[in-house]
Amino acid sequence: MVILARFFRRFLRYRGPLLMGLVCIPLAQLADVAITLLVGDALDQAKDASDAEWMGRVLTWMAVYAVGHSVLRFYQRWLIVVVSRRVEVDLKRELLNKLTSLPFAFHDRSRSGDVVSRLTSDVEAVRMTLGPGLMYTLGAVVIVPISLAILFTIKPALALAMVLPMVGMGVTMKLLTGRLHSFSVAVQESIASISHRAQENFGGIRVVKGYAREDQQARLFEATSAENRDNQVELGKARGLTHAAVNASFDMTFAVILLIGGLAAVDRTLPIGDLFKFIDLTMKVFWPLIAIGWVLGMLPRAIASAERVQELLDEDNPIEDGAASVSVADVRGGLEFEDVGFTYERSREPALRGVRFEAPAGSTVGVVGPTGAGKSTLLNLVGRLFEADEGEIRLDGTPIRELPLATLRGAIGYVPQDSFLFSEPYADNIRFGADDPLDDAAVEALIERVSMKEEVAEFPEGMATLVGERGVTLSGGQRQRTCIARALARDPRILILDDCLSAVDTETEKALLGSLRSAGTGRTVLVAAHRLSSVRDADLIVVLEPEGAVETTGTHDELLEREGWYRTTWEQQQRTESLSAEVESEIGRAS
Amino acid sequence: MSVSEVDPNELVATKAWDSSLFRRLLEFIRPHRRLFLASFGVLLCLFAGELFGTWIWRGTIDGPVAEAAGAEDRSPYVRELLGWVGLYLGLVVFMTGLRYLETSVLTRTGQAVVHDLRARVFRHLQHLDLGFFDRRPTGALVTRVTTDIENLSEMFTSGVVVLFFDAIKVAVVLAILFSINAQLALITLLTTPLLIGVSLGFRGGARRAHREVRARLARLNGYLQEVLNGIRVVQVFRREDRVAGRFNEALDRYFEANQRTIFLFALFYPAMSLAVYVIQGAALWAGVVAITGETLSYGAFVQFWLLLNMLVRPIRELGERYNVLQSAFASAERIFQVLDTAPSVASAASPEALPDAGGHPPSIRFEDVEFEYVEGSPILKGVSFEVPRGKTVAVVGATGAGKSTLVNLLLRFYDPQAGRITLDDVAIQDLPLEILRTRFGLVLQEDFLFAGSVRDNLVMERESVTDASLTEALAASQARDLLQRLDGGLEAEVAERGATFSTGERQLLAITRALAARPDIVVLDEATAAVDSGTEHRIERATRALLEGRSALVIAHRLSTIRDADEILVMARGEIRERGTHDELLARGGLYAKLHALQFEEPAA
Repeated sequence: MVILARFFRRFLRYRGPLLMGLVCIPLAQLADVAITLLVGDALDQAKDASDAEWMGRVLTWMAVYAVGHSVLRFYQRWLIVVVSRRVEVDLKRELLNKLTSLPFAFHDRSRSGDVVSRLTSDVEAVRMTLGPGLMYTLGAVVIVPISLAILFTIKPALALAMVLPMVGMGVTMKLLTGRLHSFSVAVQESIASISHRAQENFGGIRVVKGYAREDQQARLFEATSAENRDNQVELGKARGLTHAAVNASFDMTFAVILLIGGLAAVDRTLPIGDLFKFIDLTMKVFWPLIAIGWVLGMLPRAIASAERVQELLDEDNPIEDGAASVSVADVRGGLEFEDVGFTYERSREPALRGVRFEAPAGSTVGVVGPTGAGKSTLLNLVGRLFEADEGEIRLDGTPIRELPLATLRGAIGYVPQDSFLFSEPYADNIRFGADDPLDDAAVEALIERVSMKEEVAEFPEGMATLVGERGVTLSGGQRQRTCIARALARDPRILILDDCLSAVDTETEKALLGSLRSAGTGRTVLVAAHRLSSVRDADLIVVLEPEGAVETTGTHDELLEREGWYRTTWEQQQRTESLSAEVESEIGRAS
Repeated sequence: MSVSEVDPNELVATKAWDSSLFRRLLEFIRPHRRLFLASFGVLLCLFAGELFGTWIWRGTIDGPVAEAAGAEDRSPYVRELLGWVGLYLGLVVFMTGLRYLETSVLTRTGQAVVHDLRARVFRHLQHLDLGFFDRRPTGALVTRVTTDIENLSEMFTSGVVVLFFDAIKVAVVLAILFSINAQLALITLLTTPLLIGVSLGFRGGARRAHREVRARLARLNGYLQEVLNGIRVVQVFRREDRVAGRFNEALDRYFEANQRTIFLFALFYPAMSLAVYVIQGAALWAGVVAITGETLSYGAFVQFWLLLNMLVRPIRELGERYNVLQSAFASAERIFQVLDTAPSVASAASPEALPDAGGHPPSIRFEDVEFEYVEGSPILKGVSFEVPRGKTVAVVGATGAGKSTLVNLLLRFYDPQAGRITLDDVAIQDLPLEILRTRFGLVLQEDFLFAGSVRDNLVMERESVTDASLTEALAASQARDLLQRLDGGLEAEVAERGATFSTGERQLLAITRALAARPDIVVLDEATAAVDSGTEHRIERATRALLEGRSALVIAHRLSTIRDADEILVMARGEIRERGTHDELLARGGLYAKLHALQFEEPAA
């Protein structure tokens, strides 16, 4: 409950509309009650009246109350629900800022599905309970005592006797809501397994057909579907129980009115009009009472959700900004690795150990080694995506920890291994890299630099075409080249290429590397690569061992002279390449 | 990016009522007509009970309460009143039971129909050809057996039955209202169009607004997911603000859509209650006039008032029912579209039996087979070869040469555009599809393990697999010790997509699966993924056991498999370029020799 109160404080930012909305609730309810009283009194008056002319006044008042009630109800809902949506928007905005500022280590360990569900269903559960939930509760809290108080002044014994079944109704609703919830979770789960089964079957349809297992699969699916049906039926029973119980307490309230009210009416101590008031007001408090029960039943879920959201808000940020007064313009790009070691959070074995090398400003350094040797990890340390545990990385002599993140990352152009692009217009993906807005000519120049000019021209809307499912689907090589253009867009001092040419053919690779080098006058380039031809012309090549230590360093020519991983792999790759070429030409020749 | 964008074709506005679709749906109701009748019975009883309740009030007020006026001894009236109360209590018990039944029976009825329909759609999908699956994203097909079916279930539980019943209800209540006091009823009736207007007037707006909110929310969540996927790039490029900006834009769009929805509903509910007040005001006025004119008793007025509430509810829900029906019919249309699709690959009308070969495995022949998936880009350009009885033919070639297509055609996943494929000289189109496929021992490249136990996956409920044949297969494929490290051995559950096993182990299991049925024809599409040398040896031996003495077509990647083959076909660009044994082809120094060097020769280091 405390946690919900904490979230409620966010609603107070909009206390103006919230307060107005809250004021509307009792007023609207009062207008509603007034109508019942009006009708009741009119009925009594009708008994002694000889004509119906006075009805004009009654109907006028009724119209006034009815219109007042409707207007108030409109504002009540409009003001309060909109505030709850505003709070939702604020909360989501805050959560996103939190997420983008959290260190990469956080994202590395948390599942994105879980994070998304905190931002969606958890936020929604909190909003529902504190916004509309509060509105309904407050409505009930107002109308129930007011109605009872009015009825009490008419016939105390009857009003008191009615409380019992009414409370019974609220309690029943609360008890059954939890039960309903667990049944509906079971239904949701069985729907999920239907969808899972179908997905699995359609995905493996070749195996199914290959083995003529269609009938068996259909039977399995039928069993899953039957389970869902049974769960639905169980939920239906639970709902039926709730429905019956709630209505039974409602009916019992009427039974009490019929008995006590009827006795009083027989005794002539309760006029018919007052009996009517009992009946009509009972009908009016029926829904608010159910709503209270419903909100109470939802509370445990809302609290759990609020805790999960708060947990994310409280996540702290251990990447600290450095204080050295260095700006991006001051960076020359010289990097030094001194005995750098790193171990992933959930791993016992270090991914990197004692890595030491130097990349003077303007030089190109290749990082190679077998799969899993820690090439990507090494590159990730430079931009402080992960923090080195041991040793030190220095940029132009200053430890990167002491540099402002804005300076460090501002100086880096990064090309990720997975060639991640946004589902945005193609040009926007390139502009993403630049700190200042780029004009179309500049974007075109970059597109040309990565040899994408002709391909982009063929997109339906040129460089304004959306990337992704709703637009063009780019090939692996196209994605990689686009990522390079994006990195070049910021004209970085340091360019980090994380095995980003694997899907590009050798010809294009050569052209690209040449263009990077000619443009890279004074630019420091770190390249991790599987294909050794990518690092052939590097000033220095760092060969990592499977355990993350440096096996050796040197230039291409130096490394070829030594026996070791580099030479073996180089020869193998050269041979494969020439054989592939031969196969290709052989295939071409015969056809 | 995982935005669940809806296919625009799936958003066609459908009619809220389509008789021909409804008649087809009725077919599915027929087997459950008893349940339907029962639901109807329950609803009728409930309705009668509700009506009876209003009579009790009338009887009480016009009976003991009115008659006691001026009477000295009130005890007979009190007794009479207690009688009414007793009746009411009895009614409460009756109604409580019925209300329970109402929800539970209606759910049971709807779910029974929906389950049948779902099973039927799935079964139908199972028998459609692979081309059908190729043309449609898996997600859209899943929707047919999930969301679309659920929409229909909504129609059964809160749509058709209730709508039909509501109509009866309105008619009966109106009739009673007229019988109580025609003038009063007429005046009241004149005011109901307002309520109907409000209810129906909002329906379109409400649906559009909800759809808009859903679409914007999907955008928002999609972008969030995308940002999380690309968080590395966002952080290194220091684009947190840009991302926040875009997110906020999407958030604002979402908020605006919400605001419109809230406005609509904030307007809708009060408008509705205002319309109800108008009805009540009219009833009150006419009622008081009648009471003062002594043409109406108090009891009758109270009954009238209570009946009015019964009349208003179905009218108020009219708009919502309309929306339910509309989306249900849209779903029904999509579902029937699937059910109306006939498989393009089907068993022959009068299938032939395979001639008895005296227990020997059949021979396979491809005769000038031509095939293209997409018109104008041929994959196979007249391929002919034979797999003699009990022999192994291995197919090699670069990717895209058309090797896997051979398997697809042999299994009749597709039918060729020209040429024919025979088993012992009988065209495979003339064989019953199921018999054809069950003859094959099949090992596919990306073999797939289904949820269930390891045994389920190996047996796959094939009659030809017995405990003995499974044990034999496990021994032959040497997969038995693989099971020993699993809790429960054969009975162990397979994790999602077979994650329990390594790639190599999955291949061993796939071979075991094929062996277990003791097939006489083997179709093997070897996996290319690298495995450790221990597993590699086991796979080699298992493959040998699999091919031994059977007619086999192998898309080969393993050197050992290729060497052992009786004939090797070298494919390139949809044609067979070279054929012969390993040694012959190597000696020739052509394409095969080069491919062989590329794939298998260790560099001289």
